[in-house]
Amino acid sequence: MIEVKDLTFSYGKGLRGKDKQALRGLNFTVGDGEIFGFLGPNGSGKSTTQKILTGILKGHGGMVSVFGKDLRSVHTREFYQKIGVLFEFPYLYANLSALDNLHYFSSFYPKEQLRDAEELLDELEFKKDFRRKPVSSYSKGMRQRVSMARALISSPKLLFLDEPTSGLDPSGAVLFRRIIESERKKGTTVFVTTHNMLDADLLCDRVAFIAGGKMVALDTPGNLKEMNGNHSVVVNYLYQGRRGEKTMEASELKGGVPFPCDELISVHSKEPTLEDIFIRYTGRGLS
Amino acid sequence: MLYSLLKKDFRMMVWGKFFLVALGSFLLYTLFINFGYLNFMEDNADSYNVYLYDPDGAFERVSPLVYQAASEEELDAALAKDAGGGVGIKVEAGRPGVLLYAGAEKVDRHRADYALSLLAGGSAYTPETAGDNTPEMKQRREITCELLFIEIVAAGFLGIASVLLKEKQMGVIRIHAVMPFQRSLFLVSKLVLFLLTDLVFAVLMTLFNIGLAEAGSILPAVLVQTAILSLIMALTGFWCTMLLKDFKQFSLVYLAIMLFTSTPVFLAANTSIKMDWILYHPFYHVYMGLKNAFFGWPVTNPVYYICAACAVVLLFGVALAAFRREMGKEGL
Repeated sequence: MIEVKDLTFSYGKGLRGKDKQALRGLNFTVGDGEIFGFLGPNGSGKSTTQKILTGILKGHGGMVSVFGKDLRSVHTREFYQKIGVLFEFPYLYANLSALDNLHYFSSFYPKEQLRDAEELLDELEFKKDFRRKPVSSYSKGMRQRVSMARALISSPKLLFLDEPTSGLDPSGAVLFRRIIESERKKGTTVFVTTHNMLDADLLCDRVAFIAGGKMVALDTPGNLKEMNGNHSVVVNYLYQGRRGEKTMEASELKGGVPFPCDELISVHSKEPTLEDIFIRYTGRGLS
Repeated sequence: MLYSLLKKDFRMMVWGKFFLVALGSFLLYTLFINFGYLNFMEDNADSYNVYLYDPDGAFERVSPLVYQAASEEELDAALAKDAGGGVGIKVEAGRPGVLLYAGAEKVDRHRADYALSLLAGGSAYTPETAGDNTPEMKQRREITCELLFIEIVAAGFLGIASVLLKEKQMGVIRIHAVMPFQRSLFLVSKLVLFLLTDLVFAVLMTLFNIGLAEAGSILPAVLVQTAILSLIMALTGFWCTMLLKDFKQFSLVYLAIMLFTSTPVFLAANTSIKMDWILYHPFYHVYMGLKNAFFGWPVTNPVYYICAACAVVLLFGVALAAFRREMGKEGL
């Protein structure tokens, strides 16, 4: 679906006359029907990459191919009919209602590829009594749901999501993850840009870490954790009325608890989080 | 697709109370022209009162417009009370002397000459009437043209900004960057609506202030000039909105435009102030095109229309480039 080779981009001359190099030779591919996570701190080049992939930024170096065609030649109406984009902020016409916004934005697409706006809002659990009220009266979570509906209404084959669960309460975030997963099941490829480690961990088939315009790691969340974990566990127990805690290799537990105890309270693995791994690779946090 | 854009822009204009403001402006201008400006001009057009003290009756064939004073004191009192620039003539030894309260030098000379001319009873000349414009109709044409010009400059420039700045602040312009449509349609839709509004405004102003009988013959030319000015101002407004951050900056640019564009044009076109360089000022030609259209002499020089078309095409290109730049700015 997406193939990127030696992607470079600079924003022109900076204050000291030097090019502000935003991307320094990125290489990655995103397969059909894959959910691909793009993780990095602010200013790392995530947004620039996504802007290039959606055709908003021109003048990149290297090769970028989307839908099997070089990106320099695909920014036609046909290309935009096949992609859906959820922006970081819920951009909507504040004076129009959710339904009016959806009808307006869907009017740019061929009718045969459109989904029903009401059904989509039902799927996103959007309150019925607000659908005809102006967006200016909505909460951030409600706006995010309408924005998601806008991105999905044209049944895109490639979906770009920027911080999809931002502004949502925990149940809303769970709903969004379920919807993204169901889009993937329909064959949609999803490119997610996020700071949210839980989203990346639960949703993405593969994640790429980007820092300073360079890609520092690319693998499945599971592999990244395994490669960077130490396989140790923390055991909490009771012995002679006293609570105790021991850290040991997981393999030591194969033959049972290797120390005297009356009761096992808990056994926790010391698997690192994606954020731990990111910091290990880049020396920087994500936020 | 264009229909959706038009519908959305129309709703944005309704939401921004654009039509309400335009209607308010129309009513205000019409009331001003019919009940304010014309009355003021009528009062202003009155000739000066002339008072004569001629104790020996040296002048026998004085005009009936002259008021006779029985004494020098009465003459002085009449001049003191006259608030309209009255002129006194005191005849001594058969020679008339002019008395007046000083005003502007040129006007004072005119007042004196006018007063003395009335002593001869009347003019030997009968002036020929040029055209069939009454002074009132000329005033109507001139003030309607001026107010229409001001309105289109303001509505095109500020009106489009009020709609577009809202879209900019909502961030929705960025969504259009990933929509499958021709980017120029976004601009075309706004131009169509503002152009139509300006044309309707011009029709109403002409009908209500010039009159149905006169309007028929001048409307086509007036609408052509209105369209030229409307497109130029709307495109300039669109371009500036894309470049400027907020309405405050926009208002400053508008002030600058009014100061450096409209003011010298009005001064050169409507007063006796001479500015040779004004011929190089493009707005002077646009204003004169509109003014001539109101007076029934439409511009026939094709160079004018070619230049206007080039300006519109150039501004369209510049505005479209600024729009594309704005779409890619932030937000992903």
